[in-house]
Amino acid sequence: MGNWFERQRNIIDFTLSSLVRRKGKNLALLLVYTLLVFLLASVMFFTHALRKEASLVLQGAPEMVVQRMAAGRHELVPRRYLGMIKGIKGVSGARGRLWGYYFDPVMSANYTMVVPEDHPLGAGSISIGQGISRSRLARVGDFIPFRRYDGTPMVLTVREVLTTGSELVSSDLILVSEGDFRKLFGMAPDLYTDIVLSVRNAKEVATAAQKVQKLLPDTRPIMKSEILRTYDTIFDWRSGIIVVILSSAVLAFIIFAWDKASGLSAEERKEIGILKAIGWETSDVLLMKFWEGAAVSLSSFLAGVLFAYIHVFFTPVMLFEPVLKGWSTLYPSFKLVPFISPYQVAMLFFLTVVPYTVATIVPSWRAATIDPDSVMRS
Amino acid sequence: MIELRDIRKVFNEGKPHALTAVDGVSLILDARAVTVLQGPSGSGKTTLLSLVGCMARPTEGRIMLEDREITSLPERFLTDVRRRTFGFIFQQFNLVKGISALENVMLPAYPLGERHASLKKRARGLLDLFGILPRESSRAEWLSGGEAQRTAICRALINDPKIIIADEPTAHLDTKLSREFMDIVGRLKAEQKTVIIASHDPLVYGSSVVDRVITMRDGKIEAAGR
Amino acid sequence: MILHPAIIALLVASILIAALVLYAFWYGVKILRSWDLRSGSSLQLELERRTYLISTVLAYVFGFQIASLFLLIYTADSLSTLFTGAMCAAGTFNVNAYGYPLLVLKLINFLLAGLWLIVNYADNQAYDYPLIRKKYALLLLLGPFIVLETFLQARYFLGMRPDVITSCCGSLFSVNSSGVAADLASLPAVPLQYAFTAIMAAAIALGVAVAVTGRGGYALFVAAGMAFIIGIASLISFISPAVYELPTHHCPFCVLQKEYGYIGYLFYAALLGGAVTGMGAGGLNPFRSVPSLVVIIPSLQRKLAFISILFHIFTSLLTLAAVFRSNLRW
Repeated sequence: MGNWFERQRNIIDFTLSSLVRRKGKNLALLLVYTLLVFLLASVMFFTHALRKEASLVLQGAPEMVVQRMAAGRHELVPRRYLGMIKGIKGVSGARGRLWGYYFDPVMSANYTMVVPEDHPLGAGSISIGQGISRSRLARVGDFIPFRRYDGTPMVLTVREVLTTGSELVSSDLILVSEGDFRKLFGMAPDLYTDIVLSVRNAKEVATAAQKVQKLLPDTRPIMKSEILRTYDTIFDWRSGIIVVILSSAVLAFIIFAWDKASGLSAEERKEIGILKAIGWETSDVLLMKFWEGAAVSLSSFLAGVLFAYIHVFFTPVMLFEPVLKGWSTLYPSFKLVPFISPYQVAMLFFLTVVPYTVATIVPSWRAATIDPDSVMRS
Repeated sequence: MIELRDIRKVFNEGKPHALTAVDGVSLILDARAVTVLQGPSGSGKTTLLSLVGCMARPTEGRIMLEDREITSLPERFLTDVRRRTFGFIFQQFNLVKGISALENVMLPAYPLGERHASLKKRARGLLDLFGILPRESSRAEWLSGGEAQRTAICRALINDPKIIIADEPTAHLDTKLSREFMDIVGRLKAEQKTVIIASHDPLVYGSSVVDRVITMRDGKIEAAGR
Repeated sequence: MILHPAIIALLVASILIAALVLYAFWYGVKILRSWDLRSGSSLQLELERRTYLISTVLAYVFGFQIASLFLLIYTADSLSTLFTGAMCAAGTFNVNAYGYPLLVLKLINFLLAGLWLIVNYADNQAYDYPLIRKKYALLLLLGPFIVLETFLQARYFLGMRPDVITSCCGSLFSVNSSGVAADLASLPAVPLQYAFTAIMAAAIALGVAVAVTGRGGYALFVAAGMAFIIGIASLISFISPAVYELPTHHCPFCVLQKEYGYIGYLFYAALLGGAVTGMGAGGLNPFRSVPSLVVIIPSLQRKLAFISILFHIFTSLLTLAAVFRSNLRW
């Protein structure tokens, strides 16, 4: 076994020194290889981080939301619907929600106004997200003026600046009391934005949704699992499209790698001839070629992944951002939580290292079977 | 002892440009002796040398190496026999450029899996023996003709072979270095090594250390010189 | 079809692997037809050189095969959110008729490629290629299997419809439903525990016999194969419920998830490793009397048997740990 190990070591030593000797030739290959890994890894890291973010947001979301539809548009839900839904078998609770968007002409920004269920705010006070706190320079105790639906002003006091893990959710959020919300938007007391309901048995969410639909034909039940699935499909599909587009780049890379591997220079051909002549066997040269490929792949792969990681999580410029994020699915600016999984690495491996290796098998073998007496014949 | 029986070697067999390089050679080469294959270029002496050195397989005929038939061995076994039995010195020395003289000497032993440190020690010992240890870390292309020659000899000796094979070793050397080479051959012979040289240099086949000169022409033996 | 990077990666890889194997297959046929070791003709020299290429190709195929097996399972797992009713890989494999056959074929191909490499290794040690025809006949068997696998995988992924309602491990591997999966799940746990203990003991004992005396190769071949099958059945029947601590949860894929410390990977790796080495040691038995292999094969068999013992002991220990650490009791 020691023998085997030493053989590998000696051959690796020689392979690495040969690679360094031929920097010029290998540099182009390394660059292209790294670039390819970088592009693919960026796409994957980014979509995965977005999915992760979306699922974090949805984690706290209710199992099911019921919206009322009128003329194909989202309508306010009358209070009596609540009672009807509560009567459905299997539904353990239903609650009307109040939320909406407020356009702030001063900052030209849209805020999300939500009436919180768990910590009731006193009339006249609000909690604001960090984004708003930053842009309006508002701290606890400050007053913020709002414009009511009829144009009259309304001043609310900041009670709290929200601090939560995901900036994506809370940045533009304003929590407001129910009374103030209705006053601000002029909403009648028996109307809600939508209804959330909880179901006793998680497996019966779908059945409950069907019942709601049957009982109240003008409503649209939205299940959390469906939202999650939609997000997943959208992100998978988008990154898939980019991977398909990039696969032409992979193909070009394979041809390039094949060409590089089979286009042995006279110098290299002679060198392998010498090795064979002085006692290296075909499998020794194949081993050398294997380590050569491994060294090239490993360094390009690591470099590509590292650059992609930095690119996606630590720099603001995103190459594929417009395509991957989409139009209105998510908010325009937030920080992604750095994340990398063995699964992504395995996918990248199959998209880059495997094609590269396959492309170099035959050329390597051809190089390895150079006749040992070729150095004597020339 | 190496025995060749009815050896034929045809290149590009079955094609219009087929070439019979060695044509029906039978020969017994003695151990611990210096044998020179002599003849004009194209006479088949280099091909015969590569067949004796297990670098290529004959198209027909058999080669016995110390009573072992090696002609039908698969390549991996042939190579194993070759690298443990033969050391090679080539016409242009064929050192690998870009690596040091020391690494060049160590190169044939890499696949055998010897510990790097002990291999290095042996290689430096050989370089020292031939007086070029001070040049161990010089790159191959920076060595002078004489240094390159001695490095090539060290490389041929690193696996401690019984038989040394040299193909036109003096073709690119001046008279002084050619004489020096033959002196080294004398030393190897004194160490009980078998030496087989292909050369048409009178300085080689006329040397006093040579035991036997075999003359070849058109792939056949013209004079077996015994 | 679902455009997912992993699906594209798997499809690309399987097409490349199939292309490689077909290439090897082509030269395998040539070698079977024209091999003549005594000839020094250029054709023979060329064929001998090709054997290096084919060995290299098969070694890579073996490596890619095991990596893609796990990637496939992992992908199926991560796609499960797309299918109503699927909660893990079990449901995703069930979305169409190609999923489970693909999985089984992938396992078979892994074992075949492993056995090929072992036979090839033995053959390369001998100076006269004694097994050349046998190993290339085996290659001819492997070729169509790999192509079929690529075909199944393509049909499987291309036929995926995200709106399909599938049944997942809950119903698939549940005692009350029908089908092979359910039959496996409803295998009585206690007799299967005895069977598992017996086959592991047999595989280890036969491994020791082969490693020490060199006898019992055929029996080891059978035992290692059975250990693999019974191992998978046991995983479904009683090991996975113990891991999940849920008597009704029989899924063989959820064990691969992070919640269970990726214990499934260890388990599958040990099972596959034990099967390849054990069957390899036994599979070499018929060639013991080949003159040029008389010395080589027994020593190789010993080594393989020894490694298979380690794998089977590891499988047993892993199972013991899972069953005894669990709060679930029968």
